[in-house]
Amino acid sequence: MQTPLPSSSGTKPEMKEHCSHRADCLKLIQLILDGEATEQQLARAKANLESCKPCIQMYQLEKEVKELLTKRIEKRCCPEQLVATIKTRILSFS
Amino acid sequence: MATIPEVMSDTPTSDRNRIGGPTEPDQFLPDSDSAEQPEANAPARGYSEEQKYQIFNKEFMPHIDSMYNFAFRLTMDEDDANDLVQDTYLKAFRFISSFEQGTNAKAWLFRILKNSFINDYRKKSKEPAKVDYQDVETTYNSEDAESEHTVDLRAESVSDLIGDEVATALNSLPVDFRTVIILCDIEGFTYEEMAKILDIPIGTVRSRLHRARNLLKEKLRDYASSMGYKEENDE
Repeated sequence: MQTPLPSSSGTKPEMKEHCSHRADCLKLIQLILDGEATEQQLARAKANLESCKPCIQMYQLEKEVKELLTKRIEKRCCPEQLVATIKTRILSFS
Repeated sequence: MATIPEVMSDTPTSDRNRIGGPTEPDQFLPDSDSAEQPEANAPARGYSEEQKYQIFNKEFMPHIDSMYNFAFRLTMDEDDANDLVQDTYLKAFRFISSFEQGTNAKAWLFRILKNSFINDYRKKSKEPAKVDYQDVETTYNSEDAESEHTVDLRAESVSDLIGDEVATALNSLPVDFRTVIILCDIEGFTYEEMAKILDIPIGTVRSRLHRARNLLKEKLRDYASSMGYKEENDE
């Protein structure tokens, strides 16, 4: 991403079929999805994500993987018994 | 030997994942109605017994489901998760004077749990000790894997995977990689919070997360192709 990307100078930007900085773009995409990107990084990525096919695909994949993790993995709840045990043991501290 | 957590006073108190905890508040708070409302910024080490119980109930216990989930994902074993959560909460109570009321209790607790896991559980864990983060990191750092490594996988290929398959893929990662993914994607911590929980610089959080995700995608790709999800038209 250090190399400035061609800015969309007209109405419809040409779709890039090949991305020559995939690894850096991927890092940026992850920052965005994690909510850790700066305004500057966001702006830079926005242009790119409108015009670079491989980046769009990477973005979709990263988003999908993150959603799999946040939504599909079962959340284990703490057993009631453990809650009760902890409370009892804490009480005996004083 | 146990690491005493430091006060993390500058962490934000955002609590996005607050999960309803046990429903008997103040059950073991002695004379809760007569207990004085603690000051907003009680100085460390200045808590009365009542305040300790109150902090424990109001700020620590609401995170117990997240803590248990974290412990289970780390140990991959219900009994170990039970022990780990119990030890962590007992430690948290014992060291409650180093917790500054109103700061990020969840991150503080997660840090104790992660330290307990490393100090007490990792050695006896069923995980093969050889496949450890150091090895994997060395491998990944060599041969400039870092610079150009992207996993060839399409979003559509993984969108049909079910939770168990994703969990299995996650569980197959070395524990340090698994940990950053759990903290970031499952528990929703910020990089800054993760840096404090794990005692590593933010840059390391970022790169470890990046590598963890590449590993995870490789596992998911293996799953997807073994399940026949891979589209045949491409390539």
